[in-house]
This record gives sequence, structure tokens and C-alpha cells, in this order.
Amino acid sequence: MALNEIRVSVGGGRELDRAGLAALIASLPGLRVVPIEKNPPPQVLVWITTRDTDQYPAVQTDTAILLLTEGAAYESLPETITGLLSKDESPATLGIAIRQVARGEQYLSSSLVTAILQKRQAKSGFTDSETSIINTLTDREREILELLAQGLSNKLIASRLYLSVRTVEGHLANIYLRLGVHSRTEAMLMAVRIR
Amino acid sequence: MNASRTRLAILGTMSDLHRQPISYDLNCLQKIVADVSPDLLCAEITKEGWEQGDFSQASVEVREALAPMIASMDIVMIPVAPSPKQYTDFTPDSGWRHRIVRNFNRLLRWGQIWANDVMTINGSGFGAFCHTVCWLTEMFWSSEDRALWERQNKQLVENIVHAVQRDSGRRVLVAVQCQRLHSLMPLLKTHDELFKIVAYQNL
Repeated sequence: MALNEIRVSVGGGRELDRAGLAALIASLPGLRVVPIEKNPPPQVLVWITTRDTDQYPAVQTDTAILLLTEGAAYESLPETITGLLSKDESPATLGIAIRQVARGEQYLSSSLVTAILQKRQAKSGFTDSETSIINTLTDREREILELLAQGLSNKLIASRLYLSVRTVEGHLANIYLRLGVHSRTEAMLMAVRIR
Repeated sequence: MNASRTRLAILGTMSDLHRQPISYDLNCLQKIVADVSPDLLCAEITKEGWEQGDFSQASVEVREALAPMIASMDIVMIPVAPSPKQYTDFTPDSGWRHRIVRNFNRLLRWGQIWANDVMTINGSGFGAFCHTVCWLTEMFWSSEDRALWERQNKQLVENIVHAVQRDSGRRVLVAVQCQRLHSLMPLLKTHDELFKIVAYQNL
């Protein structure tokens, strides 16, 4: 019955930023802040980006990195990064993002999604075969893809449809498979193009 | 999505009594729900109120404990209240019925304060006491109010059933005012083919 706590570390930024963020994370249910060198390693490292550097720490492969960032200087998620969270988001959203990346899912703030998609959209075309693939999706899967294209997190999609997060993740796995994509960003990009 | 059977548990809540200096307070309620961490949480707020973010008429449990807590968690709220009208709203406005119902409500409050922990509130002994007092109380409501209360509980169960049918195989926690338990349990048990009712600790 006891909740499995997610171990989270905080890095990057300035000391005061890290302390504030660690206190906020510790106040959210089911999350526990641990030192970055702790054994077992943290499941999630929340890394505060600064303008001075884009260096990220070396972490264990099973530690997901969630970047807390101000803008989308990216065209997709950098390889080692699992999530991008805008600093404009609410504290509750931080909890959602941490849980999502801890489960091995990607997380992208909707404001950052828009910027990323705008950058990538110009570079890519749209094929007839994509339309036929989209037509093979079920109504529910199309509904979820549409909400994904709006940049909603899995929790928000689930809440909008009154489904559990696990069910939405199951649908997303099917959607990725059918679309032949490997990431949330690719699925979003395709969804935006066919809208 | 999932062929495994839905598990559903009922957690009796105590409305404004959670604010009393008792061990089963709103913090305790939050901890229980966080520990159980269900996939879906059915609670007493109307769909309209939930979608508009208007918690003013929601039960105190939802407004002050459950909604703020699940905002940062993966628990999805299923608003199941058919209307904002709650148990205490059914008290007759005046006259001898009003006085009798008020006294029964006091007895119920006394019982709830005396019980003072989640295991007892949701246990069978207190359930029998609660059932008796609530049944007696309802006898002194107007026939219209009694019919409305029954209809409300039926609609509430229908909303729970719809949620389970929409997303089967999940862990569902139903947090409702404990006054509803004796009405809801028999209604929920008629849907045995859809879900298995378990104790909240075993969800």
C-alpha cells in the first residue's frame, strides 16, 4: 500500500535556485529529494539550465534528466535529455513532469512544444502515406494524438478524457507503433502536420 | 485497454468534520489517497464544477484536500456528484422534523468524533451505527428529499460505473461522504461483473 517514492536530485543553476527547487519537490507527494551521488542513484535529475552553459552532468543511464529551461533552443530533445520543462510552469506541473520522465516517457512543456514544432515544421514535408496511416488509428487514438499535438502532458490528456494515465500511455505506445515514430516529438510533429 | 478486472474501493469521508481536531483530518485523508495512489479517484464534485475549476460547491474534501493534492500526481479525478447538494443540505428548514434531524445529525457527529480514525469510520461496527442513524434521519426528511437523495445516489453509482466501463482494469478509489456508504454499497455490488470491491488498503 505504501507509495513508491520517486528519488529526485536537483542540479545546475545557482545554489539558491537548487535549494528552492529541492524544497518544492520535497513538498510534493510521492517525491523524495536525494543527493546526486546517492546510491541507488536518483531516478530523475532535475537540471536548472543557465545561459552560461549547456553542460549536463554525467549520470547513470537509468537516471532520467528533466531540464528546467526558459526557452526552446532545441529542435527536439537532446539525446541524453528526457524532458524539457518551462520555468513558466506551475509547481504541480513539475510533479507531473517528474513522474512522467521517471516512467521512461518524454515530457515537453506545451509552450516549448510550439517553439520546437515551428522550427521543425518548415523542414519537413507531408506525404500521402502519412494520411493513410493516420486513418488506421482508432477514434480514441486520434483524439489522443490531437491532444498530444496541443502539447498536453499525459496527465492532462488523461484528465481531459477521464481516463487513467496508464491507459493514455498504452494508447500512445500504440500510436507510436502505428505511426512508425520513436519519440513524442516525432508523433507531435506528425500530428501537427495532419491537423 | 486492459483485460484484467477493475478493482474498486470505497473510502468514507467526513466533510467538515475533517476540520475538527481529530486524527482522521484532511491531512490524514490526503495521506491515505497518496499512499493508495489509485489510477482514478471518483469524488464528490459535479462534472461542470470540475471542468470549470469552480470548487465553491464541491465537498470540502475535494476542495481543500483531494483536488490540490492530485494536481501534482498521476491520479485522475473523476467527478461523480450528480448535483452539489450534500447530505446536510437535506435537513428540513424548520418544525419538529428539523429538530429531530438536527439531533440525529448531532448524534452522527458525536459518533464520528468518537470514532476518530479512518479504520473505524470505514469499519463494520461504526458502519452499523452510522447506517442506523442515517436511516432514522432519512425517515424524517420529506418524501421529496428522500426520493432526491436516492436518485442522487443512483446517479452517483451510474457515474462510477461509466468511469469503470470507459477505462477497465484500473484501480479506482471512490471517496464519498460516509453517509452515502449504506446506500452506495448495495448499488455498487449489483455491478459485480464490472469490478471487484476491495478494502481501500488492498486496492
